[in-house]
Amino acid sequence: MDEITGRPDADGHVASVLRTLDPDRDRPTDVLATQHLTVGFGGQAVLRDVTVALPRGTVTAIIGPTGSGKSTFLRTLNRMNDRVRGFERHGDVLLDGESIWSPGQDLLAVRRRVGMLFQRPNPFPMSIRDNVVSGVRAHGIARGKQLDVVAEIRLREVGLWDAVKDRLHGSPYRLSGGQQQLLCLARALAVGPEVLLLDEPTSALDPMSTEAVEALFQTLTPALTLLVVTHNLGQARRLSEATMLFYDGQLAEHGATAQVFGQPRDPRTARYVQGLVG
Amino acid sequence: MVEIAPSGLPSTRWRHVRARLFHLLMLGALALVVGPALWLVGGVVARALPGWRWSVLTTLSQGTSGGLANAVVGTLVLMAGVLVLAGTTGVLTGIYLSEFAEGSRGVHVVRVAIDVLAGFPSIVLGYVGYVALCVGLGWGFSLLPALMILSFMVVPYIAKSTESSLHQVPTAYREGAEALGMPGGHALRRVVVRSALPGIVTGLLIALSIAGGETAPLLYTAGVTNNLPTWSLLHHPIAYLTYYVWTDWNQPSNAAHVVSYDASLILLVLVLVMLVVARVIVARTQRHSESSA
Repeated sequence: MDEITGRPDADGHVASVLRTLDPDRDRPTDVLATQHLTVGFGGQAVLRDVTVALPRGTVTAIIGPTGSGKSTFLRTLNRMNDRVRGFERHGDVLLDGESIWSPGQDLLAVRRRVGMLFQRPNPFPMSIRDNVVSGVRAHGIARGKQLDVVAEIRLREVGLWDAVKDRLHGSPYRLSGGQQQLLCLARALAVGPEVLLLDEPTSALDPMSTEAVEALFQTLTPALTLLVVTHNLGQARRLSEATMLFYDGQLAEHGATAQVFGQPRDPRTARYVQGLVG
Repeated sequence: MVEIAPSGLPSTRWRHVRARLFHLLMLGALALVVGPALWLVGGVVARALPGWRWSVLTTLSQGTSGGLANAVVGTLVLMAGVLVLAGTTGVLTGIYLSEFAEGSRGVHVVRVAIDVLAGFPSIVLGYVGYVALCVGLGWGFSLLPALMILSFMVVPYIAKSTESSLHQVPTAYREGAEALGMPGGHALRRVVVRSALPGIVTGLLIALSIAGGETAPLLYTAGVTNNLPTWSLLHHPIAYLTYYVWTDWNQPSNAAHVVSYDASLILLVLVLVMLVVARVIVARTQRHSESSA
């Protein structure tokens, strides 16, 4: 220790080593936070005054009836709603403490850091390998032979490698629905996101595929922060540490999953998690 | 046992009759389309083949006799020129209308302009070309005015087919690309246009067929010549196949009629080859499309 502390820049050195070991060290605990977020389309408010903080490396489930604003909330977080006609917002979304709409933010960089997986698997009309590296290519993260390496690493990460290694140049649409969703996940992971927004990611899949995809989600934390919109209450309980319940555009409840399901504070939550509404 | 829906009920029988009726109607419509096409192709082939000489492709025309080499090359040059000129303009217009124009005021103007252009009789366009370009600007019968007038004619087809096939690209592709943070141009090239390609190619094919098959506007702008096309865009007339189809047919001699049929056959084969090439291109680029899975 003396050797290190004896040097004039010891503090800086130690800090840099620690940063290498844990890149999240100096960052805010909450990777994403919303502040009084209100979103509307053409004067019609869809989300009202939502303030939440999402701690880094956690899984949060978002539940609530259809039309309660869950998807709108999710799609606002990576600015997918910006170009929707009549989009208006008040309040703010902070990514690592900085507004995602601040002039210094690059929209494409925000979306690279905040990835998304959709309800229906949506592979692009290109080969399996090209699908995985499409984002990597667009961002210029890797090129040439490196792309093959990226493809293999990401396909292994989602457990698809053995199934597709002999048909990397084949069509992604010959894969099963579950495999297609894993492929989309590999594609999203390849650009190195910090947050993944999952919009009912298993609702188009059969139970076996759902199990495989869910198992995979659990391996992604704490490296990533996951936000899962789901209509499947069982899935919310299985996957998440925290649960948010949206009701009519408002955040009716937000707390530890066990509490939200066990001792809900809001009567609407109680009715919803007991299956009386929704 | 109670019969819930006995097949003899009037309503059921009427349903069968109606289904049969519609089936027949559709068969009739099909026959109306396929019949004339087969008749035309058969007629041309049957008349052209008996007198067919390969030398038609290699010798130049001498008025109403001789070969068609000058016209074959001329038509190919015209088609290639239209592909470049009208192809780029039309595809870019279609992309603009579909991807960038939403909410801007100019769009309305562009759309109306396209509809007006598409509605113009080709002979009027040809005459305008003659008055404004060949005479007005002093270009004479030559390649450039011919290309410009043909392009004016076909740009609307290409723009419209491009626009509508881009509109049919699934939102899921666009959103997927957006969510990855792909730059707009990159997503357009790699994902959107690629999956709209079959429709775009179809538009180009129609345009090329028109360019190869038009006569009226070319009579006014291209002129005609017994010589092969030169490299100059202006002041040199250019020959094309449809000219010989028409003029040689109107000659009293049998030899001229043979040339007329030869020109028709060559045009047919050109269009056929184009169709096959386009099919191959589309098939190659759509190997990974959802519909081919």
